[in-house]
Amino acid sequence: MTTSITRRNFIAGASVASMAAAVAGRASAATAEDPLLITLVIPSPVADVGWGHALYEGLLAVKESYGDAVQISVIENIYEGPDADRIMNKAVAEGTKFLVAGSFGYQNGAMQIARRNPDVTVLHASGFMVAPNFSPFAAQYSQGTYLMGMAAAALSKTGKIGSVSAFAIPELITSLNAFVLGAQAINPDVELSVVWLNSWFDPAKAQESAKALHAQDCDVIFSNAQDTPSVVAQCEELGIYSFNLNSSMKAYAPKTYLGCVLTDWSPFFKASVDAHVAGTFKGANAFLGVADGVVKTVDWSPDIPAETMAKIKETEAAIADGSFSPFTGPILKADGTEGVPAGVTLTNEEVISMDWHVKGVTTPLPN
Amino acid sequence: MNAIEFILSGMLAAATPFLLAALGELVAERSGVLNLGVEGTMAFGAALGFIVVYNGGGHVLGFVAASLGGVLLSLLFAFVTLGLRANQVATGLAIGILGLGLSAFYGKPYESFTVSGIGKIAVPGLSDIPVVGGLFAQDIVVWLALGTTVVLWYVLAHTKLGLLLRAVGENPKAANSIGYPVVLIRLGAVAFGGAMAGIAGAYASTIYTPLWADGMIAGRGWIAVALVVFGTWMVGRVFWGACLFGAVSLGGIAAQTAGLSVPSQLLTSLPYLVTIIVLGVISSNRTLLKINGVPSLGEPFEK
Repeated sequence: MTTSITRRNFIAGASVASMAAAVAGRASAATAEDPLLITLVIPSPVADVGWGHALYEGLLAVKESYGDAVQISVIENIYEGPDADRIMNKAVAEGTKFLVAGSFGYQNGAMQIARRNPDVTVLHASGFMVAPNFSPFAAQYSQGTYLMGMAAAALSKTGKIGSVSAFAIPELITSLNAFVLGAQAINPDVELSVVWLNSWFDPAKAQESAKALHAQDCDVIFSNAQDTPSVVAQCEELGIYSFNLNSSMKAYAPKTYLGCVLTDWSPFFKASVDAHVAGTFKGANAFLGVADGVVKTVDWSPDIPAETMAKIKETEAAIADGSFSPFTGPILKADGTEGVPAGVTLTNEEVISMDWHVKGVTTPLPN
Repeated sequence: MNAIEFILSGMLAAATPFLLAALGELVAERSGVLNLGVEGTMAFGAALGFIVVYNGGGHVLGFVAASLGGVLLSLLFAFVTLGLRANQVATGLAIGILGLGLSAFYGKPYESFTVSGIGKIAVPGLSDIPVVGGLFAQDIVVWLALGTTVVLWYVLAHTKLGLLLRAVGENPKAANSIGYPVVLIRLGAVAFGGAMAGIAGAYASTIYTPLWADGMIAGRGWIAVALVVFGTWMVGRVFWGACLFGAVSLGGIAAQTAGLSVPSQLLTSLPYLVTIIVLGVISSNRTLLKINGVPSLGEPFEK
């Protein structure tokens, strides 16, 4: 289990810490020897798997290299909204100098904190706002899901693949599009059905959706932005392949786990903390992928044919050195019109703002 | 397997958490007590049941623990509302929040862990019928829930105990004046409601979705409360309501996988819309409410 702090004992712990700080502050002004306090705020619980876990692991790597010079605190289960603003402000008031705001919905509150506290560095997940001490960060999952699509097409007997997805937002749509494009690189006739849960969190519904996709002959399922292993465990029971993002769930599906598009935030977090400590941090949009060591594919199923696996590794290397992008035209939209003209590659900005499905996705996109 | 088969085979299992919790709440409400803590009681039962099953206690013990946990919370509710005659709505909400908090607290070390579910029991012959066969292959708890529905209907409609329970809800003063212990009967009804909610939670966390995740009950307790009103406090209608809700929510998912061009947001909200519409239709029928309603619902009893 991870050792983390719930909101309740955070408040208790934090008040003790602040009392101690107050006492110390009276005795002598804060010295440079005080550890750098890093706070992670996330909307979900830090479990053994999932998004929150991936962020936490990234910070643990920072802790490992800095030792006692940094102190990490995690505040979990914080709903996006005024409550989050209050809690982030409190964390900064209590000495946090490096804040990781782990969800899109924290954007406005986190940005205010960054503006009011120029000495605090803020990293914000999946946003678009930038300030000198405020960097939004996101993973180029599409680079990994493209590779998973290649494997899925090789293993699918029906030519139908599915996905249980949270919300129809660009980040998730992009992952799905790359998944289909990768699959079509191996088998041009592959079709994708999607169930939009319209919820970040409903394990029971996620499982029902996996069953429904299976009932429609989908035999490889992409658990898109689901923090719980509900879909992966259900697919193991159904005997169909599945994969997910952020952290490996192989333990939940020892037989039918296709692989994991892992996010390893440690290189990015380390570089950011290094820059913060050196005073050279500069806010910028961090859209990180295979080349940055942030997006990785791990725990590939041994069932994938060696020939396909070789192609996958080749493509991965091409993505890493920048010679290949999943979003190079010609790409058709789901309705048959032109999405990306031949020879054109979408820019990062265009990739993160995709609001259309590629051809082969049979489920219409919700508005 | 097509969409229809998917809905038919999954409908009863999807309905079971709602059905169990709603039947318990129905008994409590029939005695005149409105317990809005169902959501939290379910979550608490779900956590306890999961912890016991995960630690090797088995499903039977898990369900026993969950029902005891449910009883414990409902006795606390009963102490405050029946003993101290506090407001039932406010107390129910508070107990519900307490249950959610306790489930998060005790479930914390088990976050995202899974257990194995249980197998299905098929009715020989019937389960082989094409299309509808899936209806007849269900896990044991679904079969027990169906049995409980029938027993509860019989008890409420045809036994002295049922009559007594209804009398206490309809006119507690009259029941008291002919010598029946109103508070004690209400206590029993509330405890039964708590046990059922706990069991409903354990079904959700150890069989239907065999994993623990904080917040996994995701509003199902509230649907159960709504179903009781939806069913005008009648066992049969609550049963059909639960089935309808289960079927419509599965239907929404099946429609998406089949590629129907209906916005998914609409499909997601369909079960709630259907519930609201049916509730509206039922509530507009005053006689129905008058015949089946519970006149003393939510009112503290004073001798």
